[in-house]
Amino acid sequence: MSPKGKTRIRRFSPVQRLFHVLLMLSFLTQGATGLSRMYIETSWGKGLASVFGGYESCLTIHKYVGIFMICWFLIHGLYLFFKIDWRQFPRSLFGPDSLLPRFEDLGQAIQHVAWMLGIDRLLRLDRWGFLKKLDDFLLRITRLPPLNRVSYLKEFDGLLSVITKPPRFDRWGYWEKFDYWAVFWGIPLLGVTGLIMAFPLFSTRFIPGWGLNVVFWVHRIESILAMCHVFIIHFFIAHLRRHSFPMDRAMFEGSVDLAAARHEKPAWIARLEQTGKLESQLVAEATPGLRALFYIFGYAAIAVGAFLLIGGLVNSPSITW
Amino acid sequence: MKEAVTRVRLVYIGGAVGLLIGLAVILTVPVRLARGQEEVTSKIYRYRERVATGYYEGYEVSPRRARAILETPGIKRGLFPYGSSSAMVRIRARLPDSHKGLKFYYRNTCIECHPEQARNIHSVRAGITCRQCHGPEPIPAINHYYSAMNTIRRHSYVCAKCHEGATAAFASFYVHEPPAASLETRESFPALFYTYWGMLLLLVGTLAFFIPHSVMVGLRELSEHLSFSVPHTLMVGLRDVFKKLVFFMSHSFLAGFRKFSQKLSFFKPQNFLAGYRKLFKKKEAFKNETDNAP
Repeated sequence: MSPKGKTRIRRFSPVQRLFHVLLMLSFLTQGATGLSRMYIETSWGKGLASVFGGYESCLTIHKYVGIFMICWFLIHGLYLFFKIDWRQFPRSLFGPDSLLPRFEDLGQAIQHVAWMLGIDRLLRLDRWGFLKKLDDFLLRITRLPPLNRVSYLKEFDGLLSVITKPPRFDRWGYWEKFDYWAVFWGIPLLGVTGLIMAFPLFSTRFIPGWGLNVVFWVHRIESILAMCHVFIIHFFIAHLRRHSFPMDRAMFEGSVDLAAARHEKPAWIARLEQTGKLESQLVAEATPGLRALFYIFGYAAIAVGAFLLIGGLVNSPSITW
Repeated sequence: MKEAVTRVRLVYIGGAVGLLIGLAVILTVPVRLARGQEEVTSKIYRYRERVATGYYEGYEVSPRRARAILETPGIKRGLFPYGSSSAMVRIRARLPDSHKGLKFYYRNTCIECHPEQARNIHSVRAGITCRQCHGPEPIPAINHYYSAMNTIRRHSYVCAKCHEGATAAFASFYVHEPPAASLETRESFPALFYTYWGMLLLLVGTLAFFIPHSVMVGLRELSEHLSFSVPHTLMVGLRDVFKKLVFFMSHSFLAGFRKFSQKLSFFKPQNFLAGYRKLFKKKEAFKNETDNAP
């Protein structure tokens, strides 16, 4: 069906991949410099700070990289502005290719959780005689005549079949949308609070000085949230689960395996096939050298993230909160 | 499908209209550039003593009256909160020597009586000592008129030593920040308390949903039948080992649970009845035995 050698389907454009790589590098730098200042009382924090040249230069790097991140966030906003299909303006925002949340995402999340809990297998319990046992039990306690029993069994079965339909994801799953919007809320929050603290004399012309106490905690907890989310959840989803076990190369290579995508995102592939756009989206796999580079880069990021997460958790009791 | 699209569109349009109305409301609020502090002019000229006050009485910029600390737990406020004799001991915030009359004062260090006050970023990270801000003996109370820590001159006499150009609004930063999570802070510094708990709720809520979510995804995908082959043979081997390990652990757990539940089997109704039946049977057997006995 697909042309020879073209086994993968395009998912991210080069600009989007560039955004992701820059976000990775700046996020890890911000995490390392920020944590080294937060943990400067411990030997772990001192060692981490010495990588960047000590306590003071950590702050300098943190500020410049933060301003760099804010600039890239603004450029990303411009990119979105030009990326929107303005001809079909309102409708294009709610399409399946858009990252904006839809009502369907909520339903899919519920279906997905039901799938994880194995409720779809509950239907197969019928084969094990589970429903029969339930039926006998109910007969014993209620003494309903057999005619009525058929109807409630059918209702129970119908209810289960609604919940147990496995979700048919389109291009973006709800967790991927959450990942995107988490960064979208996190960068402005961290950026604004960071700018307030970076220029305290200017910002206290507008807010009282005790506002800095408040802003400091917002910055701190939001950064902990961001790091926990990336180093635990995002890394798990992109590396450890079976679908993407060694590493999901989609964000570096720009494409995913067609068979895997057909399995995980069936509605996306079906839609492309219906509209006849599938052939144009197929690409070949990257060269082995390039793939090795992706793996090295991805696992370096994992190593840094794991180091920061474990070091931060282990040393958290010994700092002044 | 179409209905869903129109509903989504309604939600978004409603949100956008709400945002626009909010913006319009914000724009109607008169802009005051220096919201952090206010200008005060007075015509009071007092007789100045030996100490320079640093207080330019004709023209002054003071922090705005937006106070963070509403009340301090354990300290009464008001005109005459204490009787005259206890006021001598308890109200020290305006004395020229705040430690006046304390027994064995010169044999103690600051931290022995004020242990919590050493837990702040200024002293922990920057290594600033108490005296670098609070001054030499006698340490005046911060509200004493000639104290360097008095809010009318704290910014220029204390903060500006390190933070060049510190203003009065800047100096209303709390160096000795109360612990953000504690219930006492709800009374003393509510802005900090509610921000802290709001952010913590966000943190815990996000992680409490997504960590179990990803663990469940991982476990469920292990037992999934894949219609395509996973190309990494080494990884497949590792995965199978992991799968066997998970199965072994879960089976041994289930076996243990089964043994445990067998101990509790008395609580199952059918076993309950069966136990009674056995009991009766035994009694009958016993009866028969006694009957048969000569």
